[in-house]
Amino acid sequence: MDNFTHNDEELLVQYLDGVLDEHTKAEVEKKLNSDTEFRNAYESLLLTKEAVKQYGLKEKVAGIHKGMMKEMQQAPIRHISSARRAVRYTISVAAALIVLIGSFMLYNFYSLSAEKVFNSGFQSYDLSTARGNEEKESVIAKAYRSKRFDDVVKLYEAGADSSKEAMFLTGMSALELKENSKAISNFKMLIAANQQNNEKLYNDDAEYYLSLSYIRNGDYDFALGLLHKIKDDSNHRYNKKVTAKLLRQIKMLKWR
Amino acid sequence: MEVIKNFPDSEIVGNIRSGERMDEIIKALYRMHFDSLCWHIMNNSGSREDAEDIFQEVVVSFIDLVQKDKFRGESSVKTFLFSLNRNLWLNELKRKGRALAREEKFEKGQERTEADFGHQLADREGKLAVLNVVERLGETCKKILLLFYYENLPMKDIVSATDFENEQVVRNKKYKCLKQLEQMLDANPILKQTLKNLLHG
Repeated sequence: MDNFTHNDEELLVQYLDGVLDEHTKAEVEKKLNSDTEFRNAYESLLLTKEAVKQYGLKEKVAGIHKGMMKEMQQAPIRHISSARRAVRYTISVAAALIVLIGSFMLYNFYSLSAEKVFNSGFQSYDLSTARGNEEKESVIAKAYRSKRFDDVVKLYEAGADSSKEAMFLTGMSALELKENSKAISNFKMLIAANQQNNEKLYNDDAEYYLSLSYIRNGDYDFALGLLHKIKDDSNHRYNKKVTAKLLRQIKMLKWR
Repeated sequence: MEVIKNFPDSEIVGNIRSGERMDEIIKALYRMHFDSLCWHIMNNSGSREDAEDIFQEVVVSFIDLVQKDKFRGESSVKTFLFSLNRNLWLNELKRKGRALAREEKFEKGQERTEADFGHQLADREGKLAVLNVVERLGETCKKILLLFYYENLPMKDIVSATDFENEQVVRNKKYKCLKQLEQMLDANPILKQTLKNLLHG
């Protein structure tokens, strides 16, 4: 460093500190670009300043560290054993399952409707499978077989046929036409007539479809009463159709 | 006084860059991240004391990297601190010669989430040696240099904070102290290299 003077050293420190006027600053920068020895001397000062800054930062953090450790020790960190971790994991999985099942049940509860429950139990009555429908088929039976449900109701109301079969098929037609009150009235009439005559013609069918009519009409208590009666009677034609699920769904509809 | 535990990342980084509210920010880093990083070390063969030492270095390194614009915000502060903590701890384990195969595997399985700052962390011993050199400087020199170069205080404030008569006397003293420290560092070329790594990355 033969050419490097004390003056140069002072100049570089002033440049490092940012206290030079614009003119001198430009001179220094010019020399930094052209003189390697000058540049190395400046780099050495920069590294020295960096050492001070590192020390300052370390001291600052160390000063705060003590106080923070005091604060932290009031809530010490605990080791979590693998057994404890497994318990936590199991609890998390169980909680997730409970939430999942709960959400599923809630969804079922709120998405359930009378129409849905009705549809799950309803099946159109097929006359061809019914007893005694061969040669002398009534006008109402013919109309029902050809699915002219409006005509069935009109013919019955016009008095074309007042038999129990006509009474039942009119109830079924009303159900197909979503005329719940009319269906309820016809099925009830048929059941009353059977009781009066001590007969059972279409009685099981009327009871089952009456309970479905009650469901769609929102008369859940009546529906439940009737369905429990069917379930308790093992000889009832629709006994197997009354499932625990159906009864549970009607109760859920009642609670909402 | 109300204790603010959570600061958004942008506020932490912004304040560190500007050098404002540093005490508050450092405390927030402790409150927000010490527990989880401490837990990590204690579950990887470390003691509570190890965790405290490493966390202190994590905070120092984080602030230094942010101030040198080497934290680009590609990951969250939390993720970045976790990476620093992990790398510093693995280096420490290696240094202590008790790096287990488990930790080696752990190290290989991790990806870097930000800039490759490994060389800065790996030279932990070099950094400690630099700090020791500064420590050996006389108390007055340390005070003047810290007030000027770390706290960025103007000369007139340094005069008030010391027993010197006027600014010129302080300026002369600062010059001598700086040159003294430079000579102490010059005596060890390895320290110069460590400082170059810290300064230029």
